[in-house]
Amino acid sequence: MNHLKKIAFGLALIVALQANAQEKKKLFSFSGDMGMWYEGYGLNKIPGPPTTPDFYPARKPWNLIRYSFNPTFMIGKWTVPLNFNFSPMQNNFIAALSGGKQTMWQFLTNPANNFGIRPKIGTTEFLLGTQYLKYSDLSTGDLGIFGYGINLSPGKFRFKFFKGVSQSPVNYVAPTIPNPQGVIGAYQRNQWMAQLGLEKEGKYFAGFNFVKSIDKISSVSSPPLTPIDPQENMVLSFLTDLNTDQGWKYHIELGQSFHTRNLNSPLSLVPVGDFKPFMNAHITTSKDNAVMLAVAKKGKDWEIGTKFNYYGAGYYTAGYPFMNNDRMEYLVNTRFNTWKKKINVVASIGERYGNLSLTKGPSKTNQVIANVNVFTQFTEHFSLNTSFNNFGFNTPGIGGYKSVSNELSINPAYTWSNTKMSNLISFTYTHSKYDETILNVTTNNNTQTALILYVPTFFEKKISPDFSVMWFRNIAPSIKLTLLTATGGMTWELNKKFNLKGQLQYNINTMAPFTGSKNMLITSGFDWSVYKKLTWQFSATANVYHYGSELPGSSLIPAYAGNPSYFESTLRTGLLYKF
Amino acid sequence: MKKYKLLISLVLLLFLQSVQAQIILNIALNNRPQPWLSDWVNPVNGQMIITYMLGPALNDPLIKIKTTLLDESGSIIGVSNINAARVYTLKAGVNQFTMADALQLQNLVLSGNAQNLLQRTGRLAAGQYQLMVELTNTLGDIVRAKQTRPFYIVSYSLPILMFPTNESKLDAHIAQNLITFRWSSLVPLSQEPPQNRVQVFEILPGQTAMQAFRGNRPLLDEPAIRGTTQYIWHPNLPMLDTTANHKFIWTVQTLDAKGQPFPGIDMSIQGRSEPFTFSIVNQMGTMDKNRKNDDLK
Repeated sequence: MNHLKKIAFGLALIVALQANAQEKKKLFSFSGDMGMWYEGYGLNKIPGPPTTPDFYPARKPWNLIRYSFNPTFMIGKWTVPLNFNFSPMQNNFIAALSGGKQTMWQFLTNPANNFGIRPKIGTTEFLLGTQYLKYSDLSTGDLGIFGYGINLSPGKFRFKFFKGVSQSPVNYVAPTIPNPQGVIGAYQRNQWMAQLGLEKEGKYFAGFNFVKSIDKISSVSSPPLTPIDPQENMVLSFLTDLNTDQGWKYHIELGQSFHTRNLNSPLSLVPVGDFKPFMNAHITTSKDNAVMLAVAKKGKDWEIGTKFNYYGAGYYTAGYPFMNNDRMEYLVNTRFNTWKKKINVVASIGERYGNLSLTKGPSKTNQVIANVNVFTQFTEHFSLNTSFNNFGFNTPGIGGYKSVSNELSINPAYTWSNTKMSNLISFTYTHSKYDETILNVTTNNNTQTALILYVPTFFEKKISPDFSVMWFRNIAPSIKLTLLTATGGMTWELNKKFNLKGQLQYNINTMAPFTGSKNMLITSGFDWSVYKKLTWQFSATANVYHYGSELPGSSLIPAYAGNPSYFESTLRTGLLYKF
Repeated sequence: MKKYKLLISLVLLLFLQSVQAQIILNIALNNRPQPWLSDWVNPVNGQMIITYMLGPALNDPLIKIKTTLLDESGSIIGVSNINAARVYTLKAGVNQFTMADALQLQNLVLSGNAQNLLQRTGRLAAGQYQLMVELTNTLGDIVRAKQTRPFYIVSYSLPILMFPTNESKLDAHIAQNLITFRWSSLVPLSQEPPQNRVQVFEILPGQTAMQAFRGNRPLLDEPAIRGTTQYIWHPNLPMLDTTANHKFIWTVQTLDAKGQPFPGIDMSIQGRSEPFTFSIVNQMGTMDKNRKNDDLK
């Protein structure tokens, strides 16, 4: 209820401010949106309390609420966009937070939340709060950072600087009986970044990127245990982009990273020397390089491009902490139209080599990625979409591994109509073959999917139904899985402001030799334009699942006579006000 | 007569050893130590024990350590600089050292390729090696004890996600029933098959993909069958509904037999592969007609 009061107060405030803004239109105005989004989740299992066996875990928080506030204020020559998107709850999983109440600093720097302001006047832009800044592919761009900075762009000159925190400090908590997972903890990660370059928009950019991150050792009173050690990282990259009038595009980035895996390790000029004045080398410091090259040519009805990437085995940037390194890859892609523009082809082929350093075994890995998609509009009524994908991964050697995946998909669609309605019928068939060879033993995994979809559209009625039937089969060693699904959906436009919608799905999921599991999914809701600027979306879903003999009740602890089942409910609603 | 000579020789040898201080070197090196040589300070890699027994004469507690690294064929790939080696003063009895003390990484001069790789990665190429440790006098010209231990070094490359490909668009009619996830194996194959956990996160309204990845609770966090590289997920989510989330980010977390994440360059990622995003599009259905064009852009 408190949340609703806050929203109502916020809306009233915005309306009042907007009325005032209209009077002084030139001096002050604003636009944007704000809203609230809520999701409630419920799970009932049979057998239920007091001794519910652990056969299906809750997969969402019981309650989740998020607020957004995204206005852009125009004050004289200033433009001030705000990007607030946050939740008072903490559900972090990867970037852990302690189970207790989060501090204000943890709330602000929680990666789930955004509190960003970017006031701009002329060629000067200030950055405050949470910002997602992508400087380049080899420097930074993945993570949100809470801090402050500035962008300057006078003439062709470009200068960017930002300093902040990309990871909140979290104390280590040892596992205990009530909390067997404990908290692994994290050091506060401070990060600064800068870019210095020249740019002519749409023509060229050339510049240097600098990204430095360091874990603050004193940020936690109970530090995480090894191997989660405090780290330090510095990346320097040179980036250039060039677009010519003839349709050529060039992209080059060269990067070098310095990375200390453990700041608690002793200072040492071996194996890598200092990188003054930015970093003092430790015995755990390494440095490596990365390269990205790309060239593309664009014509009237076609485009072709190629790119080459190399990431050294020691290349690391805190701006993309999950980046996969020690690889080299190339890719050629193209897109063109032919046959009077009735055929559109999109295709790419590439190869990736891994373990270049040979630190992960005696052989390099090889991965092939190829795909082609052909769409043909044969007539006004008939079209055909065909796609083929190939993925191959190979680690040669005695203890080698090889996998090859080939997937072919065909999707014809036919439409016809009369004075009262139009009809669309679409059929999709996909055959996927996935073969794995481990220690010279090959296993075959075949998957087939067929989907028929029928969509009638009535010209003079306000209901729009659709129907589909899907069949899926997966055959692999000791696996024979079949899924049969029927789905029906409908929207009903009660008036221009109110749409009702609903969907019913029933499926039988059979893992031979067991009896099938049965599932029914019912969703209904509405989209309501309450008034011109306020929309309300509501949706409720019920998911009922009865296990077949694949999960007999006798296998549960405690045992249960019969097969288990669960009922899952989700309620989702959102209010959005545009101003 | 021969027996008496042999007995006298043994007694003389024992006598000579007993009048001198005796140093016994024992290297308990894990035969699969951590791949980052700088991590050898950790006890998991083993320890070096020097037992110093005082004798009636020649008590010299000062020693230096000379380290030699040999490859599988016995060729030397690195030798420590004895002149720059630290002088240790042994106490009588047992003296414990870490494997980092035995390795002397700061003082180790590696040959070309190995040195280059160490600078770039902090590691050696995967393979069989031998660690030879000699305890010398402070001048480095008299070897007082020596021991050689073999070890195998290897690090792992986390799986690469294969399907759904990054930024792919999946048909809602199929995806709300099942999504097949595939990834490459751990490289190289580990002695025991790893445990892969498939983790899928919803990207909530207003969130970036990485924000959702780091800040949300996973919608799916389930183990794949050990040793397999495929997982078929039955989402049973109303993906045709306009109110539902249509963007997701997924990864695979790779754990060893003890449930510990396989180590990577940044341990805070906890053995998670570089994540991919995918979105759900309703290409022909009625519940999402208005969004169709936006989704397909």
